[in-house]
Amino acid sequence: MKRILCIWLSLLACSYAAGLSFPEVLKEIHAPADAKTVAAEFTFSNKTDKPITVREYNSTCSCMAVKISENKLRYAPGETGTIRAEFDMGNFSGDVDKVIALWLDGDPAEKPSVSLTVRVHIPVLIQLEPKTLKWDLGGQADSQTIRIQMNHSKPIKITATHCSSKAFAQELKTVEEGKSYDLVVTPLDIKTPGLAIIRIETDCDLDKHRIQQAFAVVRKPTAAEAAAKP
Amino acid sequence: MNALAELALVSVVALGAAGATYLIAGPPTRTFQCDPALLKPDELCLESVPDSPDIVWVDARSRADWKKNGMTGSLLWNLDPTEDMQAFEAAAAERIAVSPQVIVYCGDENCGLSRQVADRIRALDLGAEVRVLHGGWRALKDAGRVKDSNPKP
Repeated sequence: MKRILCIWLSLLACSYAAGLSFPEVLKEIHAPADAKTVAAEFTFSNKTDKPITVREYNSTCSCMAVKISENKLRYAPGETGTIRAEFDMGNFSGDVDKVIALWLDGDPAEKPSVSLTVRVHIPVLIQLEPKTLKWDLGGQADSQTIRIQMNHSKPIKITATHCSSKAFAQELKTVEEGKSYDLVVTPLDIKTPGLAIIRIETDCDLDKHRIQQAFAVVRKPTAAEAAAKP
Repeated sequence: MNALAELALVSVVALGAAGATYLIAGPPTRTFQCDPALLKPDELCLESVPDSPDIVWVDARSRADWKKNGMTGSLLWNLDPTEDMQAFEAAAAERIAVSPQVIVYCGDENCGLSRQVADRIRALDLGAEVRVLHGGWRALKDAGRVKDSNPKP
């Protein structure tokens, strides 16, 4: 038992000595609905007895800019630093994970020593459930409904809906003005494959949420869908 | 023997061995090699993709790269905040409605973007079978499948 413990401690010491120490490798941010960017900072320190050089760092997304404190790449024993990530919320919504990778001197190109995750929770102000309505080719042309739920601090009204295809009929029903709506869609031709893109325009005060998009499709079920049906 | 002579001898022997290896085994392979054993569950090798017009190819790189040397007939879908995500969705939905086989590629074999784009296409729930090309654009280039490229031996 003692021998196993010694081996384990030696391995632990080696892995610790090889890298920088990060108190947190995951940062969660709850972004306000109107934020354009959010930032997260990861502090680290060199708790080893040797200098450590950061060879490279990057994010897997062009939506996140990563900077290391004062562009300093070499850290003496005991020195600390900060990695700052700025996430451009652009067209993201919902829960988004973005990863920052750090390669230290000696790391293989395909395996960075450190992976840091920024988890951003972006409010979904207008929720469509479901976003896509599907009918089987040659099946029943029953009406289906998309529930549109507003999750903003103020009411959001639907001002117009546009359907890209004449093969589908649509009717908007108000459940609670500014809060909840039902969009009822019916295919007019179930024997021909078809797709409709339905644009839902609202008076939302935030540009990126103002127009939403849903889909209605008549198509042959995939093999997996056909197998799942009783 | 002094140090310089030893160095020269070692260099000559090493160069001779390298030359012999080149003559016997041929030049090093610089084309992208896809090892099926290393594939993640939603990935595929280019060798297993039929040259079919029914496949929807999605380029997850920047618009500039896509225009410069993307695959002919491919769709652009990246995560650039300045792009119109709804336009990407609409374009993809129209193509997927006709051909539900989708393959996403990005800049290189370590690029995680194609997987994120693949997730977004799956989230459309249009019944598409969405896969990620292992090796990305480099594999396509080596196979001569993108603009201005020729297949490498």
